[in-house]
Amino acid sequence: MDSYAIRAEGLTKVYKDFWRRKSTSALTNLNLTIERGEIFGLLGPNGSGKTTTIKLFLGLLFPTSGKSWVLGYPSGNLTIKRNIGFLPEESYLYKFLTAEEILDFYAKLFDIEKKERKRRIDALIHEVKLDHVRKRPLSQYSKGMLRRIGLAQALINDPELVILDEPTSGLDPMGSRQMKDLILDFKRRKKTVVLCSHLLADVQDICDRIAIFNKGVLQVAGTVRELLSQNDAIEFVIKNLFNDDIEAVKAFIESRKGTVLSIKHPSSTLEDLFISIIQRR
Amino acid sequence: MIRTIAIHTLRESFRKKTLHVLIGLGILIMAILPAIPTTDEPDARIKMAMVVFFQVVVLLCITGVILLSATALPHEIEDKTIYGILSKPVSRLKLVAGKITGFVLLSALLLVILSSFNLVSIQYRASNVPEEYRGILKARTEFAASHFSIQGKLHHARQGIAWIAGGRSGVALWSFSDIKKTHTNTSGLDVECNLKLESDRGFIDTIPLMITVEDGIVGCGKTEVRSAQIDKPFVLKIDPERVLKNDTLNISIFPILPTDYIGATQMDVKVFSTQQGFVSNYGKAVIITFLKFLLIISIAVMGSTYLSAPVSIAAAFVVFLCGHILEFIKDFSLLIQDHHAHEHAVPGALKTPNILLVYVDHLIKKPLEWICLILPDFKRFDGLKFLLKGINIPLETVVVSFGYAVVYAGICLFLSAIILKKREFF
Repeated sequence: MDSYAIRAEGLTKVYKDFWRRKSTSALTNLNLTIERGEIFGLLGPNGSGKTTTIKLFLGLLFPTSGKSWVLGYPSGNLTIKRNIGFLPEESYLYKFLTAEEILDFYAKLFDIEKKERKRRIDALIHEVKLDHVRKRPLSQYSKGMLRRIGLAQALINDPELVILDEPTSGLDPMGSRQMKDLILDFKRRKKTVVLCSHLLADVQDICDRIAIFNKGVLQVAGTVRELLSQNDAIEFVIKNLFNDDIEAVKAFIESRKGTVLSIKHPSSTLEDLFISIIQRR
Repeated sequence: MIRTIAIHTLRESFRKKTLHVLIGLGILIMAILPAIPTTDEPDARIKMAMVVFFQVVVLLCITGVILLSATALPHEIEDKTIYGILSKPVSRLKLVAGKITGFVLLSALLLVILSSFNLVSIQYRASNVPEEYRGILKARTEFAASHFSIQGKLHHARQGIAWIAGGRSGVALWSFSDIKKTHTNTSGLDVECNLKLESDRGFIDTIPLMITVEDGIVGCGKTEVRSAQIDKPFVLKIDPERVLKNDTLNISIFPILPTDYIGATQMDVKVFSTQQGFVSNYGKAVIITFLKFLLIISIAVMGSTYLSAPVSIAAAFVVFLCGHILEFIKDFSLLIQDHHAHEHAVPGALKTPNILLVYVDHLIKKPLEWICLILPDFKRFDGLKFLLKGINIPLETVVVSFGYAVVYAGICLFLSAIILKKREFF
């Protein structure tokens, strides 16, 4: 068994126009490995090649050159799709169905038995907090609710590899936090998660490793800690210190040839503040 | 998996109310029939009910089904719901097969509901029609003459019609074989004669004819004199137990008076077994019509794997139309002069091929020939022509139509899978 969840070698995708002339180079010579059990983030601005990469992994697009393997099989292999869950960047769902019906439809595509289907559907609807609207057609759902049911359909087969394209788009901060918690839970359950986003804070919070794309080219890849750490600077967070003490510490550092770059009160993120307020009420 | 996609497709047409609209419109059309004036023929309303169902209502349903099946895949691609299916372990062949099956189920449902309504309305109308005019509600088996000859003197022949004069100078003889093998019940046989009648006696309405119906081998049978009305077919009822001892039946006819003449061809006398069983015959006509749906759905779905929704609708309609006028296209292509023929016809220096004819040959004649070869022949799926004549639809016709439709649909499915396999979803 391949130890990698995903492996790409020289993966290139060039879109062609109607006359088969090369028009856009969406992805150029991607060499990438994603370990099993890790949360991997694909970062980049719009049009940087993140979604193209995911579609190539899923076999929705065919590479112009290069190869990729998912869970040890060539991309697009039908057998391996039994172990993949995919949440597209927008909730492309059948709006005339209810939450229960759409999950049942997708579960049937995996040949899951009726009893097990019912158990999973109930559990997932509960997990994405849509119990109260489970019998309502999706046409009446809000964007956030559609996103949640989209996530539920991606998990209906209890996949080994979960590919999430912009999972937090359309979600309110609470939903966004729940989504992040869910993703972290996948890690605890030894599942591989490929996360595609342009919201850097989301990725920073939950990813083990990230890759940054720009104009279809992989710019950098590594662990979040590796990529963000500044080895020539040190940060202290100290509580209960008076102004005189601060000056003394500063003077001490400078006496030892150190340079104090900034002294400020630490602040939490806006997301943390928002959640703390909402939860308090 | 195919079943799942098929049921999903059916459910979509149900939820989007397409099924309701088509059934509603179909029933409405059939319900307003009594308000439409007809001819004075007692069975005219029955005929109209059949014609309206098989031509108007079925056409309406086919239009609806074409619109649905030609747009289903393009809409899935456009709405990107196809991502949800293709990211699951569903092959593209199964996706297309599921879609086709779904629309075929939809058609079956439409036909069952609407044809049941039509059948009930036909039976209701028939109950108001005198017994002797209910021939249309029979499912008779038609036997065409295997041999036709003139015994004695032929008066003259014109435009393929053999004319004989009366007074035993000549006798028209029709021979029918294999009647006993096919005709199993003993309910009776009808001999339908549609002869051309003329007379030197001036303006008269009827001509006396001597008609003999006898077993072709033993010779036993019956002879009767019949006063045939000019320009009107007549039917002779015979008891097969008395007449038919073997497989062959001979029918001979001649005018009694020397001043009278009959003109006859091989197809002018036919034998029908007078079986009952209109409902089963109607069922066969509906099955044949259903095969037409299967065929056009396969073609529409195949087109939609590559074309956009509007183009695929247009393509399906063009194929449907051309499939009904294949004979015309064939005749038209035969009328176009072959440039090779021209070469042989022109001697010497002019033997060089006429470039215009070469172009016509390659740009019009050959494509038309190819169209005739490739396109399905929808005329084959016409059950109405049998019902209107009260003729039993032979089982072979149903089986051959089924085979034709299934093979054609199979080819369409195969091509659809290949096309879709090559497609990318951006």
